[in-house]
Amino acid sequence: MSNDLKPQTPVQAAQTRAFVKSLEQESQTYWDMVEIGDELSRDLHITPELVILYLDPVEDYNPWYEGWRMNSWHIDGESPFGGAIVPPLLVSHFVLSVQFDHTKPFAIGSIHTFHDSEILEPIPIGATVRITTRAIDKYEKRGRRYVRHEVHVTDVANDTLYFREVRDILSL
Amino acid sequence: MTDNGDLDLGSLRITPETPVGYELHPIKKKAAIQLMGSRVWGRFNPNHWDPDYAQSTGLTDPIQTGEMSSAYISEMCVNHFGAAMFRNARIVCKYIASTIAGEVIVTGGVITEKTPKGNGFRFKADIWSANEAGDKKTVGWVEADVGV
Repeated sequence: MSNDLKPQTPVQAAQTRAFVKSLEQESQTYWDMVEIGDELSRDLHITPELVILYLDPVEDYNPWYEGWRMNSWHIDGESPFGGAIVPPLLVSHFVLSVQFDHTKPFAIGSIHTFHDSEILEPIPIGATVRITTRAIDKYEKRGRRYVRHEVHVTDVANDTLYFREVRDILSL
Repeated sequence: MTDNGDLDLGSLRITPETPVGYELHPIKKKAAIQLMGSRVWGRFNPNHWDPDYAQSTGLTDPIQTGEMSSAYISEMCVNHFGAAMFRNARIVCKYIASTIAGEVIVTGGVITEKTPKGNGFRFKADIWSANEAGDKKTVGWVEADVGV
């Protein structure tokens, strides 16, 4: 591969092709995969390391989110709410792993197009949250097919409702 | 590289005195393909990081996940609303165009409404991200309580 965006040696290119091939699998479209009323739920432990993995690629270095720091490693962190907290849209990012049934092949050609997110309470780093998604609509607009979900994110330990969202996926 | 290395960051914060029309200070990020393909972002879909695969599906180059632009916009909102972005806040984003690998993305926002609430106000702002040519990629709005 000679693309300037992603310089690679032949070894790296071969590894990339092998990985891409490993992702190939037969799948349904999202439209066919989801029925209105379908509900899925998974628990996510928001470790300090997961927060760092989310933040570094978007280059957000706000110290409020640091429950892990190089050399110190695990730290309590500081924010206006006491210890380190989770970025406002982190849980929204992981909704995809819930609304797409992870036990089935990923529905190719799906595009996230919209989210309406309510951030209700700060989430402390270290919390385990339950992400629950429910398909509430399937509709067509200008020849395109969309699947709409509502999402609730609660604390597994104390049922605090942290986050609520409505989101659309464009399906093939 | 910052243009205003001596900017008073505290001055960014929205206060009850902030007027409608106030413009949020932008942040700027490069849609670097190496970041777009990181494990918790686009790794699961090579359209987000592999030029060969992207071209095989009709794209000119890999495209960023929309949620990365939401994260950029969210960072700008936290810069301005601070703790208010973590309790009873709302952020709505619509992805209207793809961000292409290599583009430089700039966020923006402007306060559009200021509604009395409690001892303060509920502020509403239009928000967006765009490339350096000004082509909008993500548009939406944010609401947060300040001084309530």
